[in-house]
Amino acid sequence: MFSACSVRAQIETRIPSAFAVYKRPELKFLATGISQIDLLTGGVPVSALSEICGPGKTSVLTSLLSSATHQEHFCALVDAKDSFDPASAEAVGVDLSRLLWVRCGKSRQDLPPLEQAFKSADLLLQSGGFGIVAVDLSGFSERLLNKIQPATWFRFAHVVEKRETALVFIAQQPQATSCAGLVLNLKTKSPVWRDNLLTNLDVEVEVLRTLNKKPPNKKLPQSIGPAVSLKPQWT
Amino acid sequence: MFACLHAEDVSQPLLLECAREFSPCVESTSPGMVLLDLYGTERLLGPPQDVGQQILRRAKDILGVKNKGLDCNPSVAIAATPDAAMYAALGFPGVTFIPVGQEARRLASLPVRLLSPPPEMLETLESWGIRTFGEFASLPSIPVTERLGQEGLRLQKLARGGSERFLVADEPAEDFTAGYEFDDPIETLESLAFILNRMTHDLCERLASHALATTEFRVRLELESRQLRTNEEKEVYEHVWKPPLPTSDAKFLCRLVCLDLNEVAFEAPIKRVEVEVVPSRPRSTQAELFTPASPEPEQLEITLARIRGIVGTADEDGTSCVGSPQVLDTHEPDSFAVRAFSALPAKRSARGPLTPTLVLRLFRPELESAVELTGEQPHFVRLWKKHRRVVAASGPWKSSGYWWNKTFTWIRDEWDVALKMPKGVELYRIYLDHLRGKWFVEGMFD
Repeated sequence: MFSACSVRAQIETRIPSAFAVYKRPELKFLATGISQIDLLTGGVPVSALSEICGPGKTSVLTSLLSSATHQEHFCALVDAKDSFDPASAEAVGVDLSRLLWVRCGKSRQDLPPLEQAFKSADLLLQSGGFGIVAVDLSGFSERLLNKIQPATWFRFAHVVEKRETALVFIAQQPQATSCAGLVLNLKTKSPVWRDNLLTNLDVEVEVLRTLNKKPPNKKLPQSIGPAVSLKPQWT
Repeated sequence: MFACLHAEDVSQPLLLECAREFSPCVESTSPGMVLLDLYGTERLLGPPQDVGQQILRRAKDILGVKNKGLDCNPSVAIAATPDAAMYAALGFPGVTFIPVGQEARRLASLPVRLLSPPPEMLETLESWGIRTFGEFASLPSIPVTERLGQEGLRLQKLARGGSERFLVADEPAEDFTAGYEFDDPIETLESLAFILNRMTHDLCERLASHALATTEFRVRLELESRQLRTNEEKEVYEHVWKPPLPTSDAKFLCRLVCLDLNEVAFEAPIKRVEVEVVPSRPRSTQAELFTPASPEPEQLEITLARIRGIVGTADEDGTSCVGSPQVLDTHEPDSFAVRAFSALPAKRSARGPLTPTLVLRLFRPELESAVELTGEQPHFVRLWKKHRRVVAASGPWKSSGYWWNKTFTWIRDEWDVALKMPKGVELYRIYLDHLRGKWFVEGMFD
């Protein structure tokens, strides 16, 4: 008779990792540059998929790109609807020389822009070396995004898990469900006008999902205390 | 051992041609003089004493015939140091062999002017009564340095035949091109890739053997001329790839070329292929320890080529679809360029504290709209086939440019408006284009 221990020992001599418990590596975060969000979530998790949804998402993403490029990370932005404004990004402080911009749907008409965006993002993730791979799906209708197979999100989450890259999607609504490590839902309040000039837009941030250690006695979703105040460039 | 071949009034290529028959390492020292490194040629050419005779014979053959029979009196000297061989060839006719350690003694009788000292130094030496190598070599070094400086000390070492130096090899310019003509014109990329792969590997091996890399890879494809066209007209496809860093990786170059060629539709079969690599110094960069990881340049270039295959190369305006954005130095709205993305570490720019800023998302092309005004203020904006009420508006912000050029001129009044939408208030930028007389929605603040 073989005891369980001896069987285990024999198996482990032939397959050392047979009984090893998978341990998720310690999470790293990239600061978004918005203190309210960073305090609550720690930033955007590296080696995980994140989603930023709702009005104000582009501003949060641009702030994240600005913060990452100044930490000397190379970033990639897959722009499914070609709506990125380099002038706005430069004004926020994004180091454009460290940003790779992929403009989908401009040249090849035989492949839908959404498919172009997913394929490009996949190639960039496989290539490695980027601190952030951001995919902008904002311009697409909810109906079209709902048609994306859940396996797509699982695949992205699985691929990014082995990379030192933060994969960030921005869209109107969260799509990746449990595949996402961080989901931020943004809601705008009324814009502030002063002397015939837009001066401020307050954005309320709701954390729907996070990998960071949750604060005690708090359940998700939770909103951060004071709203994030987004100011136009001219103020 | 080193050999020196000297002949006056002879073309240098002839001397080099003659010298290369005896050694691959040849230095073109000065007009009429070449130095040869004979190290390792003993088993092939025999002892150094005999090599001198062989070189002289061959030199007389070549120079005598090709120099139209003129008598050019070549001289050959063999010594343990290049400079000793050079002065012996300059000073002694015929063949001179200087055994190791006897350089100073054999060179002693040569006139000191062969060292080509500066005129003042030669005058000084003559005033001291120094006229030969031997007399100069016998002087004590420290007083010579005190009186003639470092140059005097250097010349004294040469006179003693003891100076050591490396030859600066004169290598013929290498041709890094390769061509192949197909027996039957080919129509598939696989067949072309097979030949390209072989040629690229050969060229990269040649580059590596010269410790070189390439920053430019050129492919020229000759297509079969179509019968309908006249005479000898040839259709040619040419393309140049410029890797971001010097490389001699044949596999990488082949993949890059094949990915791009896959997107090209040729109108006729390929008859001939030519490949050229432009040699350059290999890269010498050291990665920093404390900077974040960056994309590996070769892998990145392949990835970008693949992405270009998915999204396309350029839009209708010719602006690249993949690259690094660059804001142009103009006030014209939405003016940008897309330049090649490079993962080379750029200089870090200083930046102040980051403040959350509202940014604009652009609609490309801008959305044509209709705007109802109350006085000068927009009251209703037609957006996505529906009228949206303007809650608040800021403007008009007038801008114009290129008034001297009718093609590029623009005049517009911008408004930042808050529109009442089903899900709440949204901020948009609209503008009136005075030249077209129409309203457009440029983008939304998001």
